Amino acid sequence: MALLDTHKEDIERHLAKYPDKHSAVMPLLAMAQEEYGYVTQDAIGEIAGILDLDVTHIKGLIGFYTMLYDRPKGKYLLQICTDLPCALRGAEALSEHLCRKLGIQPGETTPDGLFTIENVKCVAACDCAPVMQVNGHYHENLDEEKLNKLLEDLRREAEVSEPAHYD
Amino acid sequence: MAKTVTIVVDDIEYEVPAGMNLVDVCKQYAGVDIPVFCYHPKLGHDGNCRMCLVELATPRKNPHTGEMELAWFPTLQTACTQKTSEGMTVRTKSQKVIDGRREILEFLLSSHPLDCPICDKGGECPLQELTLRHGPGTSRMYWEEKMHLGKHVPLGELIYLDQERCILCARCIRFQDNIADDPVLAFDQRGRHQQIITASSPGFNSIFSGDTTDICPVGALTSADFRFNARPWEMVQVATICSHCPVGCNMSFDTRTDREAGGRTTIKRIMPRQNERVNEIWICDKGRFAHHHMEHPERLTKPLIRRNGRLVEAGWEEALREVTAQLQHAGENVAAIAGGRLPNEDLFALQKLIRAQGSHHIDAYPPVRGGEFTASVGVGVGTNLADMGSGDAIVVIAGDLHEEAPLWWLRVKAAAERGAMLITIGGRETRLDKFATHSLRYDYTEEVATLNALLGCMKLTGLPRSVDGLKEAVKGARAFKPDKAIKDAAEALAGANNVIALVGHEGLDGQGSHNLAQAVANLLMATGHFGRPNNGLIVVWPTANGQGASDIGVRPDYRPGYQRIPVPGMGYTDILAALADNTLRALYVVGADPLFDDPAAEQALRSTLGTIIVQDMFLTATAEVADVVLPSQSAAEREGTYTSGERRVQRFYPAIEPCGQSQPDWLIIQTIGKRLGHGNPSPSAAAVLLEIAKTVPQYAGITYQTLAEVEPQIPDVGGEDLYYGGTAFRNRHGLGVQWPAAAESGGALSAHPVEAAESIEPEEDMLLVVPITLLYDAEPVFHKTSLLHGRVPGPDILMHPEDARYLDIADGDVVRLSIDGKDITVVVRFDEQAPEGAALLPRRMQVQGAPMAATFATLVRWDVEALER
Repeated sequence: MALLDTHKEDIERHLAKYPDKHSAVMPLLAMAQEEYGYVTQDAIGEIAGILDLDVTHIKGLIGFYTMLYDRPKGKYLLQICTDLPCALRGAEALSEHLCRKLGIQPGETTPDGLFTIENVKCVAACDCAPVMQVNGHYHENLDEEKLNKLLEDLRREAEVSEPAHYD
Repeated sequence: MAKTVTIVVDDIEYEVPAGMNLVDVCKQYAGVDIPVFCYHPKLGHDGNCRMCLVELATPRKNPHTGEMELAWFPTLQTACTQKTSEGMTVRTKSQKVIDGRREILEFLLSSHPLDCPICDKGGECPLQELTLRHGPGTSRMYWEEKMHLGKHVPLGELIYLDQERCILCARCIRFQDNIADDPVLAFDQRGRHQQIITASSPGFNSIFSGDTTDICPVGALTSADFRFNARPWEMVQVATICSHCPVGCNMSFDTRTDREAGGRTTIKRIMPRQNERVNEIWICDKGRFAHHHMEHPERLTKPLIRRNGRLVEAGWEEALREVTAQLQHAGENVAAIAGGRLPNEDLFALQKLIRAQGSHHIDAYPPVRGGEFTASVGVGVGTNLADMGSGDAIVVIAGDLHEEAPLWWLRVKAAAERGAMLITIGGRETRLDKFATHSLRYDYTEEVATLNALLGCMKLTGLPRSVDGLKEAVKGARAFKPDKAIKDAAEALAGANNVIALVGHEGLDGQGSHNLAQAVANLLMATGHFGRPNNGLIVVWPTANGQGASDIGVRPDYRPGYQRIPVPGMGYTDILAALADNTLRALYVVGADPLFDDPAAEQALRSTLGTIIVQDMFLTATAEVADVVLPSQSAAEREGTYTSGERRVQRFYPAIEPCGQSQPDWLIIQTIGKRLGHGNPSPSAAAVLLEIAKTVPQYAGITYQTLAEVEPQIPDVGGEDLYYGGTAFRNRHGLGVQWPAAAESGGALSAHPVEAAESIEPEEDMLLVVPITLLYDAEPVFHKTSLLHGRVPGPDILMHPEDARYLDIADGDVVRLSIDGKDITVVVRFDEQAPEGAALLPRRMQVQGAPMAATFATLVRWDVEALER
């Protein structure tokens, strides 16, 4: 299914917002990522066609913005902040703990496709350091115990929601 | 004169234009070189590399005292982002500036591999030069600690990227985005991981990709043709002119004596030579990479004579004796077909020989007319497409400049972006339409009708008196009914200060191209746009020297210099017919290969009883049916001159040793002429040019001396400094001479009404097929260049999906066409840009070893049954 089949109205709404249609590239990329989990090769081609941009330009944008992905990531994206305040509160050790627990390195995805770990820069919640975002949701004042529990919760949630996800 | 301001550069005052880029001003007016990497006069400023730091001050009113005083910026400023204003003061040599430059260079080198000894750019590298001049002498960075990235990353098969060497100046990206309009390069990632990528298919899909290797200020972008091939200082630059299209780009053959080539001199690469009026500092990839045919192993090295049905090698004496005997026997029943790629000297010698035999049966292949109109109202001397801008108009008719004359496309597009009105008139959409202010579409065969309608509805206040017959021509044009689009274009055109018209020949035969050029000339004459710079006609010839061929009388109706022949000889089509019915005894084909792509030539050339003599670099399709084949030299092996579509005569020099026993075409022809009793051969190509200058009034005064004259080129990017040009070479060998049209030299001008062409009505099972020109084709001189093979499209027929649906044909179907009674089998490709009602067949293509395209628009019998799905 192409985006134009599933999101025609949204696309038109975004296009109407800008005097130059090229400007709609970011919302369209976000839309594609929301729909497919990442910006697929087909979606890049489709967006290039809609906006009359070269695919190279869109690839470059995806490379520039760390929140855009051109390859599949896990069902849960674990973004652990390792910037200064979090690091001072033990984030690096926490990240290592997370990696050990899941058996992967930052930037990698678990073989079951559940988790992707990323070490990220400040996510603007230093008062609650160390912080991790899970699919955009904040989990604050973390320690190893909280992390372990969080992973268990997520695994349970995935078991329940998995069939629904593939419907 | 533009407004001027006074600025101070290193304590010296200069009077300079207001609003000019500070880097350019310092270089041009103060002789001060401000080092740059990302800035380039042709690309504009970007301010990303920070190399051009200077101390800067501008006059400001003191808020306390109310007096004007010089306010220095607290930090160093990038000169490339500044525009001159009154009182602007710059220090370019202070300690602060010296320190700033050193630090920027250290930063730029922090991840650079410093592998100059194995880098192709080493020796002509701005980074290397500027580091020596302004950088730190040693590095604080350990090699192991540097960022290590890919060193041989192919951006397609033509250009390679070394990611480590790249300093991320974005010159290549900006060139592709803003100049070439192929935005196929971009930055990926950011910070230390930032790098250039392409995602196009094929990779780096641009016909100007090679130009990025020139403007790259480091060794990051190199061409597959040249990388690891030679060091810049080992090579000798030999000035040459591109022989692929009528633009006449100035280039250099960079040659070296090579051990691998057995001690022969070989062409290592082709570089642009700066000529701001012709190609600026750019050339297209065809010009840059399609030169390997000159050193190809399949080159003819000896004459061939047909013995017992087979072509066998022979000595020159034997071959010349044979040719002489045949031409003697033929007497005046001889005809000649010349390639429009031949230099002026060869064309002159050929027409002289044929006319000395008492024949006017001579034509260029493909036959395109219009030269007589460029001779009268061609663009004025001093014309520069770069001068065209707001208030001016460019009209492009019946052609696709992107494919036929890439540099004209580039410069016309740039003029449109500067605000020039661009009117495209054609049978289909081309890449220029995107930039056009008015796009007029016609059905093929309505070319003249459209131009007449355009002229007919122009509001004209008084016609120029210098032109005879103008009133009748305008009256004739008034009979054509304009539609709204034409009326709008006419109204816009009426207000233009300068008008240049580029007229092509898509779908037209010789007569058709003549009529269209006449119609365009009428328009220019009626509106007074002739006889001065930046006004007048340009013919987009199908070959590099079509203009020269016409000037020199390689056509049946004019002697050299447009002296009309009362009883014209036969043109190309008539020559074929006369060959077929054996009224011609001999045909002399020089540098042309009609059998390669014209099905109409098949029957005539294969069945004729007359003698066929072919002179070429290769055993072409036409040579294969010849009785005698004479090996000629390539343009790299001899000297000569070409005349560009803008009537600029330009000289090229010999660069490499001749291949085998091959001889220059003019010398072969004159040697035959001597044996036929037409006088001794000239001692040199220079002597032939002198004779041309004596015979062709328009070429009077053109000598090697005048052709070699140069003048400073602005912007100065081709100089010894390597700030901008990278490797674009200073033009030391001449800018050429543009000869004055009759309108400028006081010659007689006349207009004639032009009749519209008859429309072609396809029958039920017929289809109008229009041959189009592609830049990358299968012609031998191009196809022997393996580097660009992958870019030559398949020999497919392009069709609008609507038409195909009507004929019940799917994309990719194989169909049978019958052109001039000959069946060909081709693949159908859907193309939204193809016109409805006509299919497009690329010229200079072959399918299964047979010529594919018709030479002119033609009705083709159509086997509706698709052969394969």
